[in-house]
Amino acid sequence: MRKPTLRHTIAYAICAGSLLLAAVTWCNAGGDEREALLVQQRMLRERIETLKYEQDYLLFEKMLYRLHSKYLVIDTKSRTGQLKYQNRVLKDFKFTASGNFSALTPRAGIAILTSKVEGKPDRHALVFGKSFVMKWKLSTVPRREASLPAISLTRKELLSVFYAVETGSMAFILRSGTQN
Amino acid sequence: MNSRTRSGTALSALRRDLLISRKVMHATKVMHSALFVLFLPVLLFAAPAEQNDIPVSAEALRGDVEALQREAALLEEENQGLRKSLATQEDAELYIVVDTEGNELQLRRGNAVVHTAVCGTGSRQFMAAESGTNWFFDTPIGSFTVLGRERNPVWIRPDWSYVEENMPVPAPEDPDRLVRGVLGKYALLLGNGYKIHGTKWTNLLGTHFTHGCISLGDDDLEIVYRSVKTGTKVYIY
Repeated sequence: MRKPTLRHTIAYAICAGSLLLAAVTWCNAGGDEREALLVQQRMLRERIETLKYEQDYLLFEKMLYRLHSKYLVIDTKSRTGQLKYQNRVLKDFKFTASGNFSALTPRAGIAILTSKVEGKPDRHALVFGKSFVMKWKLSTVPRREASLPAISLTRKELLSVFYAVETGSMAFILRSGTQN
Repeated sequence: MNSRTRSGTALSALRRDLLISRKVMHATKVMHSALFVLFLPVLLFAAPAEQNDIPVSAEALRGDVEALQREAALLEEENQGLRKSLATQEDAELYIVVDTEGNELQLRRGNAVVHTAVCGTGSRQFMAAESGTNWFFDTPIGSFTVLGRERNPVWIRPDWSYVEENMPVPAPEDPDRLVRGVLGKYALLLGNGYKIHGTKWTNLLGTHFTHGCISLGDDDLEIVYRSVKTGTKVYIY
């Protein structure tokens, strides 16, 4: 049997290297497809999340159209709100936001009015659970709710909304970009 | 050939074999290093996929993407149906909204405000008569309908109007109860004696001064009267 020479070894190494390079190239081609699929998967998940949120809002409106209860729709992006009753808008209002308020907090979705704080004179505030507080400049906000995101209306508008809603009334916080 | 020459040839062959085997070993080491270097990126790319718990194979990913596409399509279809269902409940009808706290009346159509007027609403005062009858002058809250429209309405003075002025209360059919010109040019009837009408006390508009009706200034009353019809919805809050 002939002993392998150096030339043979080098030729063998070149062949093996070529095969390896081909395998790596094939792996990269598969990786590109996988990468594209991952991007598509991420985009679809985001789209589904948006659609689910939109569906929540549509179901909320549908439910409230049948109830005899006034409710609020708060748009955190445009800093505007509406007082609604069934399929009618009763009032539009603008608001300013407190320092800890951002488009992300309070969380988008349904919030329930848990307490109507009657401060004197007319220093009322509306507390929506742990979601947010609706008030005017001089409202008396309980200490434990003081750290919640707050939206401020004018005194006149706050009082109009204050007497229009009841404990248990609902508010829907719109996320930016939602179809209204 | 003598034995010495023979052993010298065998030794040189042994040396040559040893040299070749060393070279082969070296080449093998080089190949191992090359293999490690070439597969290192594959190992590096594969690691994060496992960490993120994402299906590694493209096959599994394709299946997941297809399932997500189906879910998104279903949601879009459902939302479309909901939007259509909500749209059937929308209308382009004009309606009246009265804010009793802010003493403001709005004529609205959908999201648009057609007209805004300062109004007067119930004084929220309590009054008791010697006979034991008592009244609370508040504007009723809720959903109403314009039941009728009147030009030059006549006010039929109720009992409280006489009690308020310490006058004897006449019989219900007494013609003295009919008073002209105090309700302005027009009135919209809301039922139970409540109306949207004009007033002589225009300086009090914007406050709670009425006995429960909604008062407007002459110009605003004209606009509201001409805009609405019998059947128009009125929302008082």
